[in-house]
Amino acid sequence: MDVFSRRYLFGATGVLVALSAFGVEAWAETKDRLVIGMSLEPPMLDPTKNAAAAIREVTTPSIFESLGRIDRTGAIGPGLAESWSISEDGKEYLFKLRQGVKFHDGEPLDAAVVKFALDRLFAPDSTNPAKSLYTDIDKVEVVDPMTVKVTLKSPNSFLLYSLSLGDAGIMHPKTAATNDKNPIGTGPFMFKERKEGDSITLVKSPTYRDPGAIKLNTVIFRIVKDPSAQVNALLAGDVDAFPGFQAPELVDRLRKDPRFVVVVGTTEGEVILATNNGKKPFDNLKVRQAIALAINRDELISAESGFGVPIGSHFAPHNKAYVDLTKTYPFDIAKAKALLAEAGYPNGFDASLKLPPVGYAQRAGEVIASQLGKIGIKVAITQLQWPQWLSEVFKERNYDLTIVAHTEANDLDRYARDGYYWGYDSPEFKAKWREVVAATDFAKRDALLKDAQRIVARDAVNGFLFQLAKIGVWKKDLVGLWENSPTPQIDLTGVYWK
Amino acid sequence: MLEFLSRRLAAALVTLALATVVVFAVVEVLPGDPALVMLGTDARPDTLAALRAEYGFDQPLAVRYFRWIGGLLTFDLGSSHAYGTSVAKLIGDRLQVTLPLAALALCWAMLVAIPLGVFAAWKQGRPGDWGVMGFTQIGISIPNFWFGIVLVLLFAVTWQLFPAGGFPGWQDPLKSAHALVLPALSLSLGEIAILARVTRSAMLDTLREDYVRTARAKGAPERIVLFRHALRNALIPVTTVAGLIAGFLVAGAVIIESVFRLPGVGQLVYDSINNRDLIVIKNVVILFTILVLVVNLLVDLAYAFLDPRPRVRA
Repeated sequence: MDVFSRRYLFGATGVLVALSAFGVEAWAETKDRLVIGMSLEPPMLDPTKNAAAAIREVTTPSIFESLGRIDRTGAIGPGLAESWSISEDGKEYLFKLRQGVKFHDGEPLDAAVVKFALDRLFAPDSTNPAKSLYTDIDKVEVVDPMTVKVTLKSPNSFLLYSLSLGDAGIMHPKTAATNDKNPIGTGPFMFKERKEGDSITLVKSPTYRDPGAIKLNTVIFRIVKDPSAQVNALLAGDVDAFPGFQAPELVDRLRKDPRFVVVVGTTEGEVILATNNGKKPFDNLKVRQAIALAINRDELISAESGFGVPIGSHFAPHNKAYVDLTKTYPFDIAKAKALLAEAGYPNGFDASLKLPPVGYAQRAGEVIASQLGKIGIKVAITQLQWPQWLSEVFKERNYDLTIVAHTEANDLDRYARDGYYWGYDSPEFKAKWREVVAATDFAKRDALLKDAQRIVARDAVNGFLFQLAKIGVWKKDLVGLWENSPTPQIDLTGVYWK
Repeated sequence: MLEFLSRRLAAALVTLALATVVVFAVVEVLPGDPALVMLGTDARPDTLAALRAEYGFDQPLAVRYFRWIGGLLTFDLGSSHAYGTSVAKLIGDRLQVTLPLAALALCWAMLVAIPLGVFAAWKQGRPGDWGVMGFTQIGISIPNFWFGIVLVLLFAVTWQLFPAGGFPGWQDPLKSAHALVLPALSLSLGEIAILARVTRSAMLDTLREDYVRTARAKGAPERIVLFRHALRNALIPVTTVAGLIAGFLVAGAVIIESVFRLPGVGQLVYDSINNRDLIVIKNVVILFTILVLVVNLLVDLAYAFLDPRPRVRA
């Protein structure tokens, strides 16, 4: 072999090696990088300052962690607290913190930091959107550097859950003020950059306590609001996954595509025909019962998206304390008309239906209007923007009917609130709810929750329509994303490419 | 010339001052409470009050108006309530997308529309003219967002020649321009149609003028007659309309940006209205008022350059 050909051979091998190295690198780059599509853009990035669900999806638990952690089934496990004990009377919680936890800027986590974060929740000047969940807390004390004691004014069986939400994310006193634009937490991913209106990029945190468990190096949340643009982004490969896909009518098309899987799961969102119980004629139980009887859930669900699960009260069917109450007022037009006549409206009446700008409400609104029309209730639909809906319907209670999903877990408590927008005021329910909150024995609490569901269903406070489905679409070789959404968060710790 | 300019400038400043009052009033009467939007349905009344005080929503209208104007005059646009970031940065980032997009669409529109219009006028009443007029009829009737979706399906999803949407930033200008091609095309469709029609009718007017007949009579080639003699004068109304279109392009960008997921100013306004991020809405709208005023001023200048008469009158 002469020199020339040897050199040629070496050169060729070199090129091959370089090419394959390049190939492996390119492969590795796509295999530890995930692009998640979001329908709504988080405004700021601090879940303790703004109620938007999209903030929790991006930050909890990827950036901010809480004392407890909600898993994919909705159960609570250890988060930044590795264990806890609750006193006999249910008023004292002792949290043992996890060792070796560091914030992304290197600051260590200790009891003083946790006390700071918890004190912020219920302080008089707190602007936490979920402050009402934490006002039962009397005081927070540092027992030792790794132990925190939380004392309640009265027992609250939802406290652990509340302390596992993004709203109770643990933040460091040094960085708490700037977390809205530069979030620094203890989670597996740290904030890298944000292009408002376009994307938010997170990278694997070098300070995370268990770096081996995290398979992804880069996570990009890309905002794609328009449903047809969402499909295009998936088809063109700009987005790997849409955990909350917003266009049920386009699902069939993606199901046929072998590159993707479509996963239909559950959410905590009860879609209700919210009714102004404080206003004539809806203050009349017979009128509300007539509305309940006039609703044909099967027709409604198939027209809306085909994915919802019927509900008969304000409670999620996948919860173990659920009781099926869809037969409380089964679809019966004749009986509904008779009840309306009994209530003094033999010819029906006019009613307003004010809809927020969300797909399910828009789709369900038309069907509800036609179903109520069959018993003589002439429904006039008005479209509102979210801010208008919040002011006009929610705050000023200037409405007859509206359709909205209540997406928080454990939100049956709304029926016990004074001045809530439904205007429902039932001493019986309030007493029952006090029992629920005080029940520290969870088996007993579940029984009480069933009673509470029955009261709300019997009183036909609202039209109970269906449980909102979570439609997830992602690439076939992506593993670990949650199929259900027990809380609005996207847990990426167990997510990897096959 | 100087007097003409200063008169135009003074008129623009008065318009701007009036615009600040109108914009402020409109934004403030928008139904919806920004604090409620931020804190959601679980917020307690005391939390809402605390937040309103923090952002100064509880101050009297006059105080808020003058605080805003003071900020504008000192180039301090304040911070967005929703994002927490500075409004100047927010708008600056978005302009890097919207201005090139609108400019590209405008250039493209003029490049296509003016020759089309000239051609149609030249072939008046014959099949070439009918073809152009038919095309413009379609161009005006097709909603540009629909055209955008079709472009994406063809060029991005099927043939994969262009990205389906998104904007990579300006680190790699070629890639960024590449990302703006489809949006600019769909944005310019309606404007091409309008500009082509305006050019055609302006050309028809000038082609009837005596000097054109003279030019033809002395044996000037048709190319010279059309482009040097007729088009030069026909450009006066075309420039005015192109200036007006610049404003429409920015407005049209709101929808096109949404179809192509471009983080531009249009999306910023849309999001800010939904978030009731009042300070952002106010500043963006005023910025665009200034932009439109500047464009109009430039159009006046171009007008004066193309047609000496306003100068003489001034």
